[in-house]
Amino acid sequence: MVGFKAAFQNELFKLVKRKKMNAAAILAILAVVIGQVAVSAVKHGFGLRLVGGTEFPLVVLSAFSYTLLPLFAAFVAIDMFNGEYSSNTMKLTLTRPVSRFGVFSAKVSAIASFIAVNLAFVMVLSLTAGLIFNPTSSGWLGVARVFLSYAVTFVPVFVFILLVVLLANLVRGGLSVFFLSVLLFVAFTFLGILVPASSSFLVTSMFDWHTLWIAEKLSGFKIVRQGLIMGGLGVMLFTAGYMLFDRKDI
Amino acid sequence: MTKAIEILGLTKLYSNGRGMKDLNLTIHEGEIFGFLGPNGSGKTTAMKMMAGLVKPDSGEVRIFGASVQQDYVQAMKQVGCMIESAESYPYLTANDNLKLFARYYPLVDRRRIDECLEITGMLNYKHEKVRKFSLGMKQRLGLAAAILSRPRVLILDEPLNGLDVEGMLDLRRLIKQLAEMEGTTFFISSHLIHDVELTCNRIGVVYGGRLVNEGYTQNILSDYASLEHYFVSEVERHGRV
Repeated sequence: MVGFKAAFQNELFKLVKRKKMNAAAILAILAVVIGQVAVSAVKHGFGLRLVGGTEFPLVVLSAFSYTLLPLFAAFVAIDMFNGEYSSNTMKLTLTRPVSRFGVFSAKVSAIASFIAVNLAFVMVLSLTAGLIFNPTSSGWLGVARVFLSYAVTFVPVFVFILLVVLLANLVRGGLSVFFLSVLLFVAFTFLGILVPASSSFLVTSMFDWHTLWIAEKLSGFKIVRQGLIMGGLGVMLFTAGYMLFDRKDI
Repeated sequence: MTKAIEILGLTKLYSNGRGMKDLNLTIHEGEIFGFLGPNGSGKTTAMKMMAGLVKPDSGEVRIFGASVQQDYVQAMKQVGCMIESAESYPYLTANDNLKLFARYYPLVDRRRIDECLEITGMLNYKHEKVRKFSLGMKQRLGLAAAILSRPRVLILDEPLNGLDVEGMLDLRRLIKQLAEMEGTTFFISSHLIHDVELTCNRIGVVYGGRLVNEGYTQNILSDYASLEHYFVSEVERHGRV
């Protein structure tokens, strides 16, 4: 794909320079610290052990994947599309020798990298905190479970962000896209609870996908089914987002 | 003479009725083509279609034979442009902005970036963030970005906007130098008729979304006292006083 590498490097460079990574890192550290302080307070105050060394990162993941991670990734996605449309800087990339598919793929890949780096950072941070404060209840198997959980959580979050990317190319204002994304996130979450039958097709119901992977009794059928649904949704959202991006007059 | 830009039946009509209708034009290598027209006459729409930012309803633009609509990447390898306004990333320095653009061109290195900043008088501000720049400085940086890859075709929409007198003189000199020494082809739109008269060797007048006339500056000036007289006469002839 001609120009993809240059476009991808540029998107990462802009991401770092805009300090979105720093803000996400600071909030992630705060979330882990607050979580660890709460766990330690319960442990020392009431004498109850809530989580072990490698269970703490899983608790953090459950909270992180439903709150800060999609929120920050949505910010980044909106900034990359609506932000550049409104500041008239999209044309700076589009008038270079790179196809629109190359630019779109580079932007989506940069958002995917942002999600992956965030997940890796929080995993290392929470694992370190968990191992320091609860060293006795740790083991290599526990660490492997943590790694697997964080790795597979990337998929549903990324698919949700593809929905945000689609909205960013459908709706003009960045603020409208943000509120629409939050609204859809909340609506999907509640719909998944109120109508359990619909949860099979709602990506927000799969944010806890990692629990299937680390369950005592592995359910291969469920994992494959959810994986295929997310894969299908991802392909459809990517294609629809690209079609809108390609047809857009700048 | 080699055909640098071929515009064939280029049409784009917006819902408000404005746009560009059936633009046909051939510009040869080394020509400096001035695109004149009143506000809303379709100049920017035409330039955006030439740069691939807007998809035409019909028609095609070819840059040295490569179609912008069919073979965009190949066509844009030859093109540098500054469309509508000279934008750059405000949170980056002038140097970082050019470094981003340089990644698309294997032959552009750090020395070429400095050279472009030097040509446009921006070398002293290389490490300053663009958000602190004046309109004229942003315009200069936009020009540096446009000439960075040594393009054979430069599409410049209102390149003199925000430039001081010195900047205008420098730019005029640069355009002529690039056209004469390197055979660069220019497609320039401007409201400053006097500057177009002094810079461009071929003029096209667009009115109401149509190219109403075009000719060589030398020929036009042999029939009219100035380009302004020619422009007013063409616009009047097509219904606007």
